[in-house]
Amino acid sequence: MAGPDSSTTRRAMLAGMGTVVAGGGIVYGASRLEGDSADGSASNESNESNGAQLHSSTATTGFGIDLGGHPILGAMDAPVDVYYWSDYQCPFCRRFEQNTFPQLVENHVRPGTVRYVFIQYPYLSESSTTAAIMDRCVWRQVRDADPGRYLDWHSAIFDAQGTKGSGWASRENLLEITAGVEGVDADAVGTCMDEHGTEIEAEIDADVQQARQFGIRGSPAFVLYNREADRAGKLVGAQPYDRFDSAIDRVKDA
Amino acid sequence: MNETVAAHATRFVEAVGYPFTSAGRTLATVGFAAVTYALLILSSFPTYSMQMLAAGPGYLDDAVVALTANTYASVGTLALALTVVYAVVTGIAITTAIGRIRHAGEVSARGLSSVLPGLLASGCASCGAGLLGTLGFVGALSTLPFDGNLLRLAGLLLLVAYLSRLGDPRYCAMPSATGGE
Repeated sequence: MAGPDSSTTRRAMLAGMGTVVAGGGIVYGASRLEGDSADGSASNESNESNGAQLHSSTATTGFGIDLGGHPILGAMDAPVDVYYWSDYQCPFCRRFEQNTFPQLVENHVRPGTVRYVFIQYPYLSESSTTAAIMDRCVWRQVRDADPGRYLDWHSAIFDAQGTKGSGWASRENLLEITAGVEGVDADAVGTCMDEHGTEIEAEIDADVQQARQFGIRGSPAFVLYNREADRAGKLVGAQPYDRFDSAIDRVKDA
Repeated sequence: MNETVAAHATRFVEAVGYPFTSAGRTLATVGFAAVTYALLILSSFPTYSMQMLAAGPGYLDDAVVALTANTYASVGTLALALTVVYAVVTGIAITTAIGRIRHAGEVSARGLSSVLPGLLASGCASCGAGLLGTLGFVGALSTLPFDGNLLRLAGLLLLVAYLSRLGDPRYCAMPSATGGE
């Protein structure tokens, strides 16, 4: 398992190779996997190239993340990818969203150092899956015309987070929250869930399986990836901002 | 039967009272309880805890506070209270066990293994982590009865049973007429 203070490749991470002491510099050999396409060449990006804008892409990154269906926050040419796995029912994810994420956006995404890729990792209950499917439907709806609405919806859901099993994440309640988010059509989201729910759930299942291959066992979880150098590090849990700050610098300079 | 229960209850009270018979023992008990609490809480998300502690001991308090808040948010007041009680009873058991070693030169350390169920149950049910998660059973705690509270309670009962056999370590336990130890 990769530590935050070191970097490793995707293959090393898949093999569960551990790293290194804090401040250490063990870096495994390059290992771009066959079939991975170079990232950023594709597709459907917004016209903005800098700042905290949301983008979509159908490319697959050198780390093996298929960007299709995932909101990407930040400049598409940012040197560091942060893959962010979360579950809307996870209180630790909410802690990250409220305490750390805004600073990361301000200090790393907006200046163009980092782009965030949101990946659903629902595993706590059926409601987690419901929320994850709804997330993908909301993104499908807004990604072309008004992608910034996704973050409004995403934040609204985390702000409304209640106790697991309390029913706050039922489809009905989530759609009610959705109806309160300007620029998102809750009825259309419901229709998307009805018509494409099965297909989207299969995509999410594939994402969850891939996350487990990376050794992810809880949420939130993050892989920081330097696309050019093909080096990555992993952070788990809602760690303080300075931990992300130093990990991003380390991966950027890898 | 009633005499057996009464004998166990008496020994339990004596065992619980022993750590508070001197300031040194009390301080040691508080220390053991604090360390146990930290271990229980940190084990609720081992990979996170390891990364935080590897970054420096200064992150220990951050990690304990964050995971305490997370435990409360994910499994509620009862589970957090059980964790605290678990830590306190473990502190008492360790002090009493040490007293037994010092006074009688032997101890059934086997009883201290009662702390294990609490460790297994310490994962936060709503982040899917914990020792069970680390062992590959992601989300397993969510499927346990009452989010693992039964497991915590079972571990607590094992510790209570251990103390009720131990009694005051400064004195030998008198066998009861119905087969006490």
